[in-house]
Amino acid sequence: MPPMKDARLGASTFFASALPHDICGSNGLPLTPNSIKILGRFQILKTVSHPRLCRYVDISRGKHERLIVVAEHYERSLEDFQRAGKPVSQDKVLQVAYEILEGLEFMNKHGMMHRALAPRNVLMDCRGNVKLAKFGLYHMTNHGADVDFPIGYPSYLAPEVIAKGPSRPSDCSHGELPRPSGPKVDVWSLGILLFELCVGRRLLQSFDISERLKFILTLGCMDDIVTVLAEEHGCLDVIKELPENVLTLLRKCLTFQPSRRPTPSELLKDPALQEVSHLYTPFRKPVSLFSSSLRCAYLELPEDISELCQDEGEEYLAERSIEEVYHLWCLAGGDLEKELTNKEIIQSKPPICTLPNFLLEDGECFGQGRDRSFLLDDTTITLSLCQLKNRLKDVTGEAYYPLLDDEQSSLPQSNSSSELSAAVALPLVIRERDTEYQLLRIVLFDRLLQAYPYKKNQVWKEARVDIPPLLRGLTWAALLGIEGDIQAKYDGIDKDTPIPTDRQIEVDIPRCHQYDELLSSPQGHMKFRRVLKAWVVSHPDLVYWQGLDSLCAPFLYLNFNNEALAYACMSAFIPKYLYNFFLKDNSHVIQEYLTVFSQMIAFHDPELSNHLNEIGFIPDLYAIPWFLTMFTHVFPLHKIFHLWDTLLLGNSSFPFCIGVAILQQLRDRLLANGFNECILLFSDLPEIDIERCVRESINLFCWTPKSATYRQHAQPPKVAGDNNGFGKTPSYYSSDYQDLPKTDLSREPLKLSELKAESSPRISAEDLIDLCELSGSGHCKAPTKKTKSSKPKILAVDIRSSEDFSRGHIPGSINIPYSTAFGPDGELVQCPATSTLQSFRGRVIVIVSHAVMRAATFAAHLVKVNYPRVCILDGGINKMKFTGLLTVPSPQI
Amino acid sequence: MKKSKVKVSSSEKEFTFEFRAGRQRCVLRVPLQFPARSPVHEEVRDLHGRLMLLHRMPCFVEEDLKNALTSFIQRETLEDYEREAEEALQRLTTGEVDIDMLANTWAKAYSETTLEHARPEEPSWDEDFANVYHELIHSPASDTLLNLEHNYFLSISELISERDMELKKLQERQAAEMDSVMQELGKSLSDQDVNAVASQHFDAQQVLENKWANELKQVTAIQKQEYQEWVIKLHQDLQNPNNSTINEEIKVMPSQLTEPPDPGARLFEEQRQLEESFTIHLGAQLKTMHNLRLVRADVLDFCKHRRHGSSGVKLRRLQTALSLYSTSLCGLVLLVDNRVNSYSGIKRDFATVSKECTDFHFLLLEEQLEVVQQVVLYARAQRSSKQRDQPEVPRNGGNEDKAKNLERNPSNILPGEFYISRHSNLSDVHVVFHLCVDDNVRSGNITARDPAIMGLRNILKVCCTHDITTITVPLLLVHDMSEEMTIPWCLKRAELVFKCVKGFMMEMASWDGGISRTVQFLVPQSEHAPGRMEPSVNQKPSPAIAVHPLCPSGSGQ
Repeated sequence: MPPMKDARLGASTFFASALPHDICGSNGLPLTPNSIKILGRFQILKTVSHPRLCRYVDISRGKHERLIVVAEHYERSLEDFQRAGKPVSQDKVLQVAYEILEGLEFMNKHGMMHRALAPRNVLMDCRGNVKLAKFGLYHMTNHGADVDFPIGYPSYLAPEVIAKGPSRPSDCSHGELPRPSGPKVDVWSLGILLFELCVGRRLLQSFDISERLKFILTLGCMDDIVTVLAEEHGCLDVIKELPENVLTLLRKCLTFQPSRRPTPSELLKDPALQEVSHLYTPFRKPVSLFSSSLRCAYLELPEDISELCQDEGEEYLAERSIEEVYHLWCLAGGDLEKELTNKEIIQSKPPICTLPNFLLEDGECFGQGRDRSFLLDDTTITLSLCQLKNRLKDVTGEAYYPLLDDEQSSLPQSNSSSELSAAVALPLVIRERDTEYQLLRIVLFDRLLQAYPYKKNQVWKEARVDIPPLLRGLTWAALLGIEGDIQAKYDGIDKDTPIPTDRQIEVDIPRCHQYDELLSSPQGHMKFRRVLKAWVVSHPDLVYWQGLDSLCAPFLYLNFNNEALAYACMSAFIPKYLYNFFLKDNSHVIQEYLTVFSQMIAFHDPELSNHLNEIGFIPDLYAIPWFLTMFTHVFPLHKIFHLWDTLLLGNSSFPFCIGVAILQQLRDRLLANGFNECILLFSDLPEIDIERCVRESINLFCWTPKSATYRQHAQPPKVAGDNNGFGKTPSYYSSDYQDLPKTDLSREPLKLSELKAESSPRISAEDLIDLCELSGSGHCKAPTKKTKSSKPKILAVDIRSSEDFSRGHIPGSINIPYSTAFGPDGELVQCPATSTLQSFRGRVIVIVSHAVMRAATFAAHLVKVNYPRVCILDGGINKMKFTGLLTVPSPQI
Repeated sequence: MKKSKVKVSSSEKEFTFEFRAGRQRCVLRVPLQFPARSPVHEEVRDLHGRLMLLHRMPCFVEEDLKNALTSFIQRETLEDYEREAEEALQRLTTGEVDIDMLANTWAKAYSETTLEHARPEEPSWDEDFANVYHELIHSPASDTLLNLEHNYFLSISELISERDMELKKLQERQAAEMDSVMQELGKSLSDQDVNAVASQHFDAQQVLENKWANELKQVTAIQKQEYQEWVIKLHQDLQNPNNSTINEEIKVMPSQLTEPPDPGARLFEEQRQLEESFTIHLGAQLKTMHNLRLVRADVLDFCKHRRHGSSGVKLRRLQTALSLYSTSLCGLVLLVDNRVNSYSGIKRDFATVSKECTDFHFLLLEEQLEVVQQVVLYARAQRSSKQRDQPEVPRNGGNEDKAKNLERNPSNILPGEFYISRHSNLSDVHVVFHLCVDDNVRSGNITARDPAIMGLRNILKVCCTHDITTITVPLLLVHDMSEEMTIPWCLKRAELVFKCVKGFMMEMASWDGGISRTVQFLVPQSEHAPGRMEPSVNQKPSPAIAVHPLCPSGSGQ
């Protein structure tokens, strides 16, 4: 994204036209408000970036269909020349003409017309270069159909535009919508504009609007429009003195017949502009992160590197992109509506004064005068950056250019680094609103992502702290390991040909996260459809299950202007976390998943598990939508973002912990209620504190031995070498259990019925060795060293007979023979060993025996008496026998 | 691709692409739809991918095909634009479209929608006063304003009690007279004489009432004028810092509202205590929070000022005054019959209450109703002219008797329609929705499609567009209980209204982005206390929200 330089942030506002009351869409759902339609169409404008166009930054909806648009802005415009009232030099005229045409040509390439070209929308930056403003208004309002006011200014309208009439939605409700204007209408407007510059006065000012328009239409009968215009305004002598090329240019622009008028791109190549055209180099679009071409292909470094550092000055903020500055401006307390109200652009009457008198049964209002505050005032105001600069005055220059090669220090070593490390400890919600902190995070992530995939490891590391919301889309892509030319891949998928799933997709989309403005806009629906279809078509072995739409939503929201990236992220996410969930017959996968989940509930919260089992409230009744959509079906987007920020860092068993954490938040209500109330409670899940949920699920995750969540239907290990050298160093928790090399000591697949029979999870011998820190054996294949504190504390309970125990057992284990452990009522019989067990309550308890069956029963008993964290050694003691790790106690007793 | 509702004339054009593969010459012909649905470059990307895939094009023509497609689409689109434009101009030269008409439509479009070309606004006294008042009430002067308002209120109250006294006296005297006349009936006096006396009494009463009504009206008008002038002057003086007399005055004026609470008021407060509040969350994923309150009270309790209030009264008055010109208004739904006046029943009671205190901001209720009456007539005229224009569109089939009713008396309103009055002089309410209902609502079985319910929906919609954040709704759609309203009837009705209002509130969230609202449900004072309704209320916060269940799609089945 280009730096902001001397650009300002400008805000302007307008109203979308109100919908007719009580009309339903063809699908029976209420119509989308026009403001949402505009909001959806606006999004693409954010990507239109050209040196001659003012970048669009943001749009926001206010009350009563108000829209506020934020865009790049400059204080100076061509109106300043008009005010001076003097003819402009012909060099300047040619320069302006060429630069406007450059902008128009670029817009036309993106299928957009300006339609509102007028001096006030031709801004000048500090070097006097043209910047076209409001170029997207015609596009975002669906060619004027979604607003009440006509687009364009009367004096500058091309004759064919006038001939078609104003496109008021009320006028064409029963007829055909007038076709949008083509690129040539802007050329006419340009002609008028240049004419005004040449003669130094405004045209047609003395007429009222209808006279003006009639005059323009009568120009069709004239031979020489330029002369007629000059005569009309008494400036024929000025026109006559103009050099030939300027006159030709004017004549070409002011051609009445559209078919004979050139398009902007034709005009750019016109000999009349030859004089100035060689001064300009064609604009080259910067290469995006994921593309097949070399990102540094056009990088030119000056001979002397120090030149780069010279011209900067003190304005570090000006070197950031306008999107970042606007994001920070908002964080620093910027309020668009307030700014506009202060400048009296928004003038609202007290609502009690504008109430209607009478309403019919169908909702039509009467007796309500037209409120003047709803009229269009297209003034753009400059947003002051003072407040933001004040907030950031203590940020040193170094902070804007953090060094990345130092793997040790994550945060820039500035004066404020101590403050920042303190900031890291603050709640996420506060960090996300802290201007200074966000600036540093954005700068850091921006640099890291530019260095992606080379700096992939550091992205992972920093993402563990937090992810700046502004760069979440790209960061997630980096975490999911997206690489390569995703656009070409996406383009190669046929998203148009009808498929049988279409009908279902069509039904689901208008019901998916529709509270969100973006996703409920028609553009959002279209993109949803395309991404979902692309996924279905490109995964022939899988099918569309309802829920896939919810899963797509966060990716689409974050990458709204980049469907290819949304598709790529979704395609990378599903095999990692939802492997084979979208098989046509997925029951074995889901069943295994849910069984492991109920084991996890028993493992972490035996009391809750006992209660839920007692009332028969099994996970099948509520947890399928949780896991099938990775919680996107149950949470609103802003919560999903925080949840997934962590989820993406964890492995595929992390969702179990999230599930348990959610249950624990509702623990009291679940424990207090019976089956019916629980069903009712979950049919409309109550508010969940998502930050707490994340914190607790991390905690639960750390207490869970890796092999406890082993699933035979999980994603099979990836082929080695997949990581092509940039691979992250796998840490104990972020890598999948399935990814680890398989040995004799790993867990073995179980039949579903067997798995279901056991209430506690099994763990592998490998894990046991690792967690007990039984060293000295070459068998220990723990992949990395980890700090002691991050590992759960463990206690092995040997339930074999004491004779067997004395013949050899796991070091540190205690012996509670199965036969004598429990009393008649299922309570633990008091003995020294059980009191040890009691005193270690809270540790992970591993039941070791000959036969797993017995261990399972024993574990079930322990769970019954509310012992948390009980698990079973897979394969029993036999697995350990060959490791040589068993010890024989010294014969003291 | 979904067809857009507005038809755009589309056409098919054939795209031809030739290339050589070895010695073979191949030609690809594809019909393409115009106008393109998306911008050229996107369209090309998609089409290109599809063509490569479907026609198994060799990869070496990839770039050529892309270029050819781009230029083809660009050329054809441009041609379309040109043809369209020429046609439009053609229509002008042939006279198919009138130039003057066209120019006038444009001029109208500009002058109606843009500030630049709109006629300058004539200054409005109401709005200026609104601004001045809003500023003052949010300043230290608010106390003075309230005191003044209260004093005016007291003098009106005195007047009213005087009137009541005099009326009472007259009635007593007349009753005595009547008694004596009755005794003489059949002796010295005939029926005719009695009738004459009765009508004489009636006339006397009318005269007295009229006299008082006039006096009240006059006093009110004087108060209103004085008040408004004073407010404007106060504002001017406050703007001029040199003139500090008013400031002094503000400081000097003692707070007169701290009167000892009288027992009657406390009794009233206690009665109002029968209320219960609930917080609900609506929405499938993103939840919006709203407050519900179930209140057992008389509907006019929200309008009446306590004459000698405790300190709470002043607070309430301040609260109402502060929010009068703000964006959090309070509304009340009043159920009325089909005539726009204030002669009978609840309408009359409401009118009486609204006269108890001078409205310093808005027109008198009668004047507001006159305006409404005009608007109703205008609306009927609009509707019928529209219906004449489009006779093929039948409006809500089966409404013939309704239409007949209207023809008979176009100034009446229909069930489900409502008019709105504005007040600054009621205790808890700024806006009153007078919703027309018929006798159906007293019967047991109304449905969600009942006009009264649709009226509620429209009321909530107006709340949405006009920032009315607190609305009071009669839960049972009646203001007083009668014999046939049994407990099952109440439960059924309450459930219906709850369900519908919940639906409307969820709908509202999509209109206004989910602003938190308070809805008060009013239960008439009778033996049916809110406590008995509780079961149905508790169902409201947690009904299953219709989200799509997860089940496999029909793909490939």
